[in-house]
This record gives sequence, C-alpha cells and structure tokens, in this order.
Amino acid sequence: MEPSAPVRERGELRLSADSLTALMGDVLAKGKAFRFRAKGSSMSPFVKDGDVITVSPLRGRQPRTGEIVAFIHPKTGRAAVHRVVRAVAAGFLLRGDNSQDADGVLPGERILGVLTEVVRDGKRIQGVRGPGSRLLALLSRSGGLARGLGFLRRLVRGTERGAP
Amino acid sequence: MSEEVRFDDAYVPSEDVVAREIEGEIVIIPLVSDIGDIEDELYTLNETGRAVWGKLDGARPLRRVAAELAEEFEAPIEDIERDVLGLVRELVSRRMVVKKD
Repeated sequence: MEPSAPVRERGELRLSADSLTALMGDVLAKGKAFRFRAKGSSMSPFVKDGDVITVSPLRGRQPRTGEIVAFIHPKTGRAAVHRVVRAVAAGFLLRGDNSQDADGVLPGERILGVLTEVVRDGKRIQGVRGPGSRLLALLSRSGGLARGLGFLRRLVRGTERGAP
Repeated sequence: MSEEVRFDDAYVPSEDVVAREIEGEIVIIPLVSDIGDIEDELYTLNETGRAVWGKLDGARPLRRVAAELAEEFEAPIEDIERDVLGLVRELVSRRMVVKKD
C-alpha cells in the first residue's frame, strides 16, 4: 500500500460526461439537488456555457411545459438539460431553446430533475422558472426561438460590422 | 472536538455523501444543505483510500479491516493500521463516514 494522503480535493480530476450523468443520477435518486457547470450552447441564452446550474429532484411530480429539465438523452445516453415544450400521452417533448431539432418524446422516467438555479459569473440569473417559461416553450416548440435567436445574433453582428 | 476513532469500532459511509467508483478512483460528493455540489466540494480517494473505503461496511471493526488489507497487500500490519486509522480519522472529520452503532 502507498503511504497516504488519500483524500484529495477535486484537484485535476476531470469528470467525463458519462461520469457526470451517473453522479447526477445518484444524487437526485437520494432526493437531493445536483449542482454542476454546464457545457454547451443548446440552451443559450438562458443557460450559457460555463454557467453553474442546479438540478433538483421532481419528488414524484411530473415536469411542466416550459420547465427546463435534466434528462438522459436518447441518442447519447448522457445527461442533457433542455426545455419541456409539450406534454403528450407518451411523455414529454423536449428541445433546446437554441437547437434546430427537438430531442423527441421522452417518457417521464428518463427525466432526472428540473433546473432550479442558474449562476453566471457569481450572480444568480432570474427567470429560470418564471411565468414566461410557457411562452418560451411555445416558441421553442415551433422552432421560432432558435430562429429568433439566430436573427438577433446576425443583427448584432451586422450592427457591430456597421459601427463606425 | 474531533470524534475519537477506535480500532474496535466499525464504520460505514455516511448517508450524507454520494460515492461512486469512477476510472479507478472513488469519487465522493458531500450532500451539504440538500445539495451535491461538484463545483464546490468533490473528493477522490487514491488506491489506499479505495481499498479501505470498500471495507467500511459497518460490520468489520477497523482492526479487522487492517488485518485483511495487510494480508491482501502483503504489508506490515503496523503500517496498515496507521494508514487505516489516519484515513478514517480524516473521513470522520469530514463527515464522510460514521461509526456504526
């Protein structure tokens, strides 16, 4: 056996997406919330790459349209965080606000928890679960949100190029 | 005041942690204020720690844990006992394991 200083704090540990998924599942299964750093831009601008987000257990209730949920993605088998855009008989239609395509309909048991907090640069972002979430779900369902965000980005880039 | 750790007692992982073996290491997340926060607190155990952790089942007193490990690793029992005691003291102080009543 090696001499010990065996408990190491975080250090250089990098968690793979699979490991993160497993740990999130373990924590939520205990009825506790899971806080981690988000990666990717599929929920931008509401969740941006590098934001620290908290996913809380649903505690037996069903997710609501407009809520942002963590789930096991059917294609990758890994955890993802997208919005519920419609509840249907077979489950829930999910889509990233900034995604071109929906994730498909997922049964409720594949949904791990619901997003309850977003912290960006140390500040808590408001409106994660606000009354506008159903409208955002409607826009996201029709693809209008992704198109609108794309238009806004082009507009901003155009303005920046046109600036004196 | 820190809790005394004794060889005659058995210990078990606390209900207030989630632990999982990932890529050969035990990763431990403390559940503080009902949150497992891997941005704030995340611990790993090295090979020594993993070997000890796997035997903290609440049934084996630390003396037996050390004896089993000394046999498995073919190492002097005195060294192993020192390692086991040091690790369990640290885990207890961090509330990752608790004494089994």
